[in-house]
Amino acid sequence: MTAPVSITSLNHWFGGFHALKDIDLDIRAGEYITLLGPSGCGKTTLLSVLGGFITPTQGTVSIGGRDMTRVAPAKRPTTTMFQDYALFPHMNLRDNVSFGLRMAGVDKSARYKRAGAMLELVSLADAALKRPHELSGGQRQRVALARALAVEPDVLLLDEPLGALDLKLRRAMQDELKSIQRQLGTTFVHVTHDQEEAMAIADQIVVMNAGSIEDQGAPARVYREPATLFAADFMGEMNHIPATAGPDGVVTPFGALPQRVDGPKAVACIRPEAIKLGDGPVQIGGAKIKEAAFFGTYIRAHLVPDVAPDVILVAHLPPGDLPETGARMTLSAEPQAFHVYAVGD
Amino acid sequence: MRVLPWLYFVLAFAFIYLPVGTLVLFSFQDGILPVPPFNGPSLRWYSEVAADDDLISALANSLLIATASSAVAVVLGFCAAYGLARHVLPGSVFMRGLLIAPLTVSYLIIGLGLLIVLTRAGLGLSLLTVAIGHVVINLPLAFAIIYASMGAQQQNAERAARDLGAGEAQVVWLVTVPMVLPAIAAAFFLSVTFSWDEFIIAFLLTRFDVTLPVEIWSLLRSGLSPRLNAVGSLVFLVSVTAVILLELFVFRKRRP
Repeated sequence: MTAPVSITSLNHWFGGFHALKDIDLDIRAGEYITLLGPSGCGKTTLLSVLGGFITPTQGTVSIGGRDMTRVAPAKRPTTTMFQDYALFPHMNLRDNVSFGLRMAGVDKSARYKRAGAMLELVSLADAALKRPHELSGGQRQRVALARALAVEPDVLLLDEPLGALDLKLRRAMQDELKSIQRQLGTTFVHVTHDQEEAMAIADQIVVMNAGSIEDQGAPARVYREPATLFAADFMGEMNHIPATAGPDGVVTPFGALPQRVDGPKAVACIRPEAIKLGDGPVQIGGAKIKEAAFFGTYIRAHLVPDVAPDVILVAHLPPGDLPETGARMTLSAEPQAFHVYAVGD
Repeated sequence: MRVLPWLYFVLAFAFIYLPVGTLVLFSFQDGILPVPPFNGPSLRWYSEVAADDDLISALANSLLIATASSAVAVVLGFCAAYGLARHVLPGSVFMRGLLIAPLTVSYLIIGLGLLIVLTRAGLGLSLLTVAIGHVVINLPLAFAIIYASMGAQQQNAERAARDLGAGEAQVVWLVTVPMVLPAIAAAFFLSVTFSWDEFIIAFLLTRFDVTLPVEIWSLLRSGLSPRLNAVGSLVFLVSVTAVILLELFVFRKRRP
């Protein structure tokens, strides 16, 4: 089961704190979307609004075309997978997973059958009679997933579900979450502060900051063409080059760029992997290695360009021998690799 | 120098348990005075206790009051703890203080207050009035123990239960109560032991049907006898049983 979600002009205040500002968001049925942002950006508040745990001060939430703004969590076609899993410690896994069906009045044999199938889906079928404390963190996380999915929600809300797992397990669970979502077709809304996780898993990324949506779109689009400076910085490492408005775009220490901005001051951004060795259309010119480190698939180098010695560029150079500090090289880039944003004073 | 800690250990425990040990020992005295030398062992005083209808009915009264008043105190304590832990109420700090405050008032004052109020209210003194008194002294304890056990862990599980369609009564009964059951049981068993050997309030608030401590007190007025030791040993046995149950079913479960 699956449903689209639509959020219209949503605002929420906690006392005097404006936690969500004019949120408009449409999620298509069956989509996997992540709400990405730093702590305190409002992503968890937005998820709580979707789940019905917070009634927003203004605005509407509709799920599957029905207004759900003021409907209690129990009556919504959503379930939440909580950050700490919130399993019932006094029940075995089968009773945990079938709890929602028990509340819905499904008889015992039917709900145990369904719980068995859900535990099978998360590869825990043979642990049905264990208690949560007998499981590892990753296994508890799977039980929480099975419990939330057992009631066949239209929308599954995941609150930093992988936050407590170690890196390797997290990567494995990302793949598993995505494959389960594909299998069921349920709409997944996943909150995270890890941009790599968001890119690995999502069809759509919504970047949030200070209660507002900064950017939303497919991971590759948000990474390559971020709508705002915040989104550009949050999605990965970014070089900042000061720029000013010129006659045909902006002027940087490395020459003119065609991108236009509103306002006199701007910043031109370029990803480390977009800086190339050798000559090219935008000539960064000679630069001196400040330090360099080997990262396996590339060498990450800090470089001081001759024309702008106060700008330190981070570049991913092809893997090879580690260049020595003070070594010189010539750098360049394509003009469309730069993103230019106006900045205030 | 390893001797000193052991010496301290033995002395401390002798100080605590010697009186009780003597009491129990001389309950098996084969003679009419519970004083050395010990001639025994004999069960004659226990059979006398068993044949004494007043003592046996006092013992039954005490058991009834201990369990019933503790059950009421625990239910009320749980409701208060749940309300104050889960809802933002006006003046909740004040309410919490007011609930715990009776712990600091002496039993004599509570007993006198209840005696005045209950007789003015036209409620004759009976086992019911003692039970009310014991609810009054055990409610703060039950509230404090259960309230302290209510943390964010249960709150998240309660949220999850609501999210999965549980109504408020189902949340409390299926999630909150089982999760804080160790605290509920601890509060219950402690209340039972307090009510079981409480004397002052029971003395002030009973008339014809009395509890065991009051019966023992009236027996004491006719002088020492190994029969009293036997009754005292039985009282001690019940208290110890409650503490052992507490240890077995509550504290041991904490360790997974």
